[in-house]
Amino acid sequence: MPKLSQISTLILALSAAVPAWAQSVTITTAGGDYGTGMKEAMWAPAGKALGLDVRGETQSDGMAALRMQVSSGNVTTDIIHLGSGEGAQAADLGLLEPLDDTVVDQKALPSGAVSKFCYPFSSYGTVIAWNTKTYGQNGPKDWAEFWDVKKFPGRRALRNNAQDLLEAALLSQGVPPEKVYTTLSEPGGIKRAIDRLAELKPHVAVWWTSGAQSAQILKDGEADLVETWNGRAQSVKDDGGAAAYTFHSSIIGTDCLAVPKGAPHKADAMKLIAAMTSPEREAKLTDYIAYGPMNQAAYAGGKVPADKMALLATAPDNAVGVVYADAAWWAKHADEAQAAFDAMMNQ
Amino acid sequence: MTAMTATVNAAGLRRDAATERRFFLSLALPSLVIVGIGAILPLFWILQQSLATARGDITLVNYTALLTNGLTWRSLLVTLELSGGTLLCCLVLGIPLAFLLASTSPRTASRLMVLVLLPLWTSILVRTYGWLVILRRDGLINDLLVGSGLVSEPVPLVYNFTGTLIGMVHYMLPIFVLPTYAAMRDIDGNVIRAAASMGASLWHCFRTVILPLAFGGIASGSVIVFVYTLGFFITPAILGGGRISPIAIRIDRTLSTLQDWGGAAAFGVFLLLIVAVLGVTALGAARLIRSKPAAD
Repeated sequence: MPKLSQISTLILALSAAVPAWAQSVTITTAGGDYGTGMKEAMWAPAGKALGLDVRGETQSDGMAALRMQVSSGNVTTDIIHLGSGEGAQAADLGLLEPLDDTVVDQKALPSGAVSKFCYPFSSYGTVIAWNTKTYGQNGPKDWAEFWDVKKFPGRRALRNNAQDLLEAALLSQGVPPEKVYTTLSEPGGIKRAIDRLAELKPHVAVWWTSGAQSAQILKDGEADLVETWNGRAQSVKDDGGAAAYTFHSSIIGTDCLAVPKGAPHKADAMKLIAAMTSPEREAKLTDYIAYGPMNQAAYAGGKVPADKMALLATAPDNAVGVVYADAAWWAKHADEAQAAFDAMMNQ
Repeated sequence: MTAMTATVNAAGLRRDAATERRFFLSLALPSLVIVGIGAILPLFWILQQSLATARGDITLVNYTALLTNGLTWRSLLVTLELSGGTLLCCLVLGIPLAFLLASTSPRTASRLMVLVLLPLWTSILVRTYGWLVILRRDGLINDLLVGSGLVSEPVPLVYNFTGTLIGMVHYMLPIFVLPTYAAMRDIDGNVIRAAASMGASLWHCFRTVILPLAFGGIASGSVIVFVYTLGFFITPAILGGGRISPIAIRIDRTLSTLQDWGGAAAFGVFLLLIVAVLGVTALGAARLIRSKPAAD
């Protein structure tokens, strides 16, 4: 009598096995403009240069897909696109192959971003955006002003997630960017940030759950001050929305590429990750989406045009007073932080 | 002799009946297999997940964590408030609507029915976003209210409980009206005429004749509405603005934000049990109430 898990594994395997042997490397991305950009700028030309037959797949929740594939023992994707927080979590759960440092160049990255399991290739800022009908061009300069309901009376919209908000809460109290994670790690550090969020809660009109929703809220004027991602804020501006945003004191998150544990074409996957994250290819990605390269060489020599450079959270002129989100801290404290956040939300 | 023929015939008939049953069973086999693989098997997988730690040991820790977490009971309360509120609105809006449909000519009724069914054929996402356009701060309703000077500030109609309830009622109303309308249409018009000729007012007639006769339809509509809405996700996710956390939202949270599959599976089993218990209770109560007038 086979075990139940074996039967379901068999069914999953049968449904997925047919396309598995038809191509040499499969890459799974989040799709949308971002996914298209990754294909056109990064993996398609890199695959061609390496002589690999690369096939793209789309999964909106890459982490769930990864867990599903690895836990069922039927891994069909060779490269998976994750948020760096997810990447650290996945590494802790043993879902990823360690990166081969002889193939993938860790020295190209800023020292804080080096990862053994998930290679960061692009970055975005969690920024303060505002409705220009309410405040003109003079919106809040930093999180302290975002919290200041006397100077900036109005409706706020925040992401319904502790991530980035704990950092913003501490920055609003004047904690210097480099002390944010040490403060959060102190006893009562998380509670301090949560209490600060609770202070602002009565002024929060919407707690958004998707990036598209945050853009909608900003565009419709549903809220006057919106915590959102720089790419989203920029797209609202481009669409003629009455919106402005600042990179100052943004919280920088990164996205990364990883190889699932037991991936069928591990060696080729490492080669493709290295080739698709070359300075030129990462710079090219900015033609499609305003997410900044992590390979620092991409910023040199005018590979990114000046007008694009102004839109990137990690461009040298923009990355002032910013916090780099610490994926390792989040992997360790996510449960505690999210539980405290949910308790605050339900009070 | 006759008795013997009868016995032989009876045996033959029984054989035929058995063959027929087997034939019908074989017709149902594909759907049984699909339901088995697509619904029952994953259910066992979820049950297994709910009893396992991340490392795969068998444990009850997911359930104790679930039942001792205040947020679980809070979300259950929100779920019951939403389902109860939706049911109440469906009763208040749906019974008069079904009565109207049942009392017009069949031609008009079938035309009106299209209007009732139209939302049922539209994707829930489209409908929910449609409500967002109508209810938001600079939406149709607030434009009218502010423009006409009735209110000075836009009324918060969405990203809260009110907005979620509106979206859920809109989704469930046709599903409530269908069985209610069917039951009311089947009422013999002569019974209503008899009551009226004996001097019953419209309200009295509605209360003592139509409602009891339509009770079966109303009860099944109510059970469907209540049980169906216990697992609602999209509407509170879009129209609740992060403030409304019914069980389905908590399950999603446990799964994608906390990455706690065992906890989410236990939550799923918890919801399934609640649906089963409430469903059986509601059906039992409906049967009890219905059998009462007959016993009188």
